[in-house]
Amino acid sequence: MLTVIVYGLAIGSVYAATALVYNVMYSTSKVLSVSTGHVPMLGGIFGAFFIGQLNLPIVVGLVLAVAVAALFNYLTDVVAVRRVLARSDEHLWLLSTLAVATMISQTMALWWGTEPKPFPRLFPQDFSQGIADQKYWLPVAAAVICAVGLELFYRRTMYGKLFVATSEDAFAARARGINTDRVRSFSYVLAGALGGIAGFAAGQLTFAYFALGFSLTLNGFIAIAVGGLGSNLGAVIGGLALGMMSSFATYFFGGEYQQTVAIGILMLVLILKPEGLFGSKQVRPV
Amino acid sequence: MSAVSLYARGVLHLSALLLAVLSMSVGALAQTKEPIRIGWLSSLTGPLSSAAIAENKGVQFAVEEINKSGGILGRPVELLTRDTAGEPTKAVNFANQLLHSEKVHFIIGPVNSGETLATVGVVAKTGTPNLIIGALESLTDPVKYPRAFRPIVTNGQWIKAANDYAVDTLKKQKIAIVGDTSGYGTASAKQAAEMLAKRGIKPVISLIIDANKADLNDEFSKMKAAGADVIMPWTAATSLLARMLNTRGDMQWDVPIVGHPALIALPVKPLLNKPEYWNNAFAAGYRSSTYDESGKLPARTVELMEKIKPSLGGSIDFTFWWVQLGYDCVKIIEHAVKTAGSTDPAAITKALNETKDLQGSYTSYSWTPQARDAFPNADVVMNVGGTFKEGSFQIAPSK
Amino acid sequence: MTERSRVTRIAMLLIGAVLLVVLPFLVRDQYQLHLAQLIGVYWILIAGLNLVVGYSGQLSVGHVGLLAVGAYAFAIIAGKYDIPPLLALAACGMIGGLCGFLLGLPSLRLPGFYFAMATLAFAVIVTEQSVAQTELTGGGVGLPVPGFNAPFDTPAGLYWLILAVAALITWLSWNVARLMWGRALIGVRDSEVAARSVGISIYRAKLIVFIFSGVTAGLAGGLFSSLQSYITPDTFVFELGLFFFTCIIIGGRGSIIGPFIGTIILTAIPEVVAPLARLGNFFYGFLLLVVVLLTPEGFGRLIQQVLARFSGKVNESKVVAPDPDLLRKALQGARN
Repeated sequence: MLTVIVYGLAIGSVYAATALVYNVMYSTSKVLSVSTGHVPMLGGIFGAFFIGQLNLPIVVGLVLAVAVAALFNYLTDVVAVRRVLARSDEHLWLLSTLAVATMISQTMALWWGTEPKPFPRLFPQDFSQGIADQKYWLPVAAAVICAVGLELFYRRTMYGKLFVATSEDAFAARARGINTDRVRSFSYVLAGALGGIAGFAAGQLTFAYFALGFSLTLNGFIAIAVGGLGSNLGAVIGGLALGMMSSFATYFFGGEYQQTVAIGILMLVLILKPEGLFGSKQVRPV
Repeated sequence: MSAVSLYARGVLHLSALLLAVLSMSVGALAQTKEPIRIGWLSSLTGPLSSAAIAENKGVQFAVEEINKSGGILGRPVELLTRDTAGEPTKAVNFANQLLHSEKVHFIIGPVNSGETLATVGVVAKTGTPNLIIGALESLTDPVKYPRAFRPIVTNGQWIKAANDYAVDTLKKQKIAIVGDTSGYGTASAKQAAEMLAKRGIKPVISLIIDANKADLNDEFSKMKAAGADVIMPWTAATSLLARMLNTRGDMQWDVPIVGHPALIALPVKPLLNKPEYWNNAFAAGYRSSTYDESGKLPARTVELMEKIKPSLGGSIDFTFWWVQLGYDCVKIIEHAVKTAGSTDPAAITKALNETKDLQGSYTSYSWTPQARDAFPNADVVMNVGGTFKEGSFQIAPSK
Repeated sequence: MTERSRVTRIAMLLIGAVLLVVLPFLVRDQYQLHLAQLIGVYWILIAGLNLVVGYSGQLSVGHVGLLAVGAYAFAIIAGKYDIPPLLALAACGMIGGLCGFLLGLPSLRLPGFYFAMATLAFAVIVTEQSVAQTELTGGGVGLPVPGFNAPFDTPAGLYWLILAVAALITWLSWNVARLMWGRALIGVRDSEVAARSVGISIYRAKLIVFIFSGVTAGLAGGLFSSLQSYITPDTFVFELGLFFFTCIIIGGRGSIIGPFIGTIILTAIPEVVAPLARLGNFFYGFLLLVVVLLTPEGFGRLIQQVLARFSGKVNESKVVAPDPDLLRKALQGARN
């Protein structure tokens, strides 16, 4: 039973980190990018590439992998989001980010291969540690670091406050002289870095695998929807809840019902509280 | 000049011209023989594409080899490849395109059983000969698909070999069956249970696991608690098989794992926590890609390896029987056309139905009007995990 | 609309209709006819979905689940239970509508993205259950699907059946779009608050439209499964749901001809990039990006602009001036 909980926490942390990536991007652009799940995927693959194949030191590999993920997300902003937002057509960013997601996924499949590849061991540790194995705790640590780091950024730094301002009311922010475009680009870079760290930490759990992208896009989306868009705490809670519920559902009902049960319970939450557990009701005077 | 001579000259010129044109066209006709068009439906991208990519290498090499030596009956072979990405709808679309627009004479594939289930009927409707390379039983049927022939082993043959090894050789009775959530996984797990039931054995536990599940400790605890003394996985998902071997090794439970060929294939190796985790694992394999007790491969396998190694980059680091299968498919077509003397579908079908012991690289093929699955049972053997070398495996001990 | 442009429009419609009817004789081979049949089936679903996405602005990406329900329903009812195919098809439509009702009832109350997620969740559950419920759906191995009886048992015959159903659905959705319903829906899409303030019952409008889209999806599913002659769970992947959604966006919301053209283009692209084999899917994504960035209004709008340029409409200035007679009558009526 303990393994069910530990596994749920571990995979839930990956979902939580992806939900944070969604959140950061959403807060400044109001866009829910289909390519979000591919950011941790890139972190994992490039981590395996730099450390496993090129034999670079672990810290260097981490920095480079995170840089790649951040760069990808920045390019997503430039290519898929910026031009589309300028035309203010609601659904187009869904398509442009979908196109970007398809392209990066296919590129990875062609270059890295379609089989999952191993992610190197980060800390020397015997494999018979059971639930204390690093592959469970690295993702949890990464999610905690990302969430805490994000909160500190928002509260303590000037740039963080700019973020908050832009997300609450973009027009007012612009009226105060904030370059919202630049803030948005930077938020995408930051979100990319967060996702890269999460994917890197989760590499030993998930293997470096190109198909991880779409799976994380879906699950991360469920996590943020349950937790409430716009709330970082909600993202973390939503992700952990989803991870735990999937784990328990599989344990009791078997693999065939895993997604049905997990999604069903989550739909129930949404019906009872549509804005998510920690989301705020979007009330606007008319 | 008189009008008559002018007229005569005109006739002379015209007839000379006519003669020249006639002789040219006869010569042209003799030279341009219609190429033999082979349609190849392959899932080169998407999940489970490694088999398709390797088979593609074999198919392409065979076509090049045949064309270099003058084609079949003097006709060049034209290969039309379509990437179906593992999607049945795309497979059906491309099958229609190859059959009706490109008017191919043969169709090889698709690779995945899920796609083949959708296309085999479509191809059968046009009466085009179809070489089936998916393993699910229902893909061939002499009545429903009279022009479909299967060179590959069937799923039942894999399961039978594994079941026999687990029960008769390893002497285990408490079997845990594992399948994944894909169509193939669920169907095969069910089939394995049924085949065991025919021998009077009931599995102690049967689990279906999502191929992407990152941790299997619960599943293994359940199997241990049920008292399993052998685990039989029927999934082609590399990550699931690797995690099974890892979990077994990490919890230091020395239970044999016997099942699907992908269990001991090379993609699993880098995912293992320790190389010795591959010990005590056995999978269904083929005599043609198995090193016998004295470490030798069959002559035909060695022959193809030498021929094709240069074009593969000098080393073979994937399962070789895929290449052999792809190569043989084209050679089977060559044999059929030569025997029939043409690409007429009825003649081809007759030629294939009368094929007996056609020596290929992968195995020797025999078909009859009633039996469309060529692979002889005797050529299915068991291989040992951790013995991969240049595309082939060591034979499993028989005691 | 002037008399002349109205006549031109009707003429174009008639020519288009005639071309569609004689299509089986115009195409080069069976493959192109198969593509036409596939486009027709997709269009039946998209025509209904168009009202949901294009007119009332609901982000439904999970309609592939309703397609799957219709497909399996047809395979089971017509195949396993041997009910006459046309009757089975009608049943598929009803089952689709019922599922649309059950799905829409709780979900339509949710704001935009959550609704999208609800439809997505539905599609995922349908796929997972079609593998799990082996007794009903054949599980991973899938089900064979019977064809229709004469005269629809030939490729051309099946094509005409699809054409008839598609024509009916198009006519229905065109009426909805044209009349007050459609106007109400556009109002709902563009500004819910304003729509509500004019007295439009938003929830009811959305629900009825969603049920209609369920019916069309069910019909499309039945025809699709008969066209493919064999269905497996692998066929109904999430990407297909996004494909339908994309057709509408690329075609342009708020029109019918736009998504129709979008459907034709997106079905044809994979066939065009077929010879590229391994790079095919990458180019599909790339082309999608290019189209989205260059013609974000959709092709419908593009065609409208082109037509407007050719019809040579003069920019009339519309002066807003009172009509004295009407005004006098109104004032007199008010005084009495």
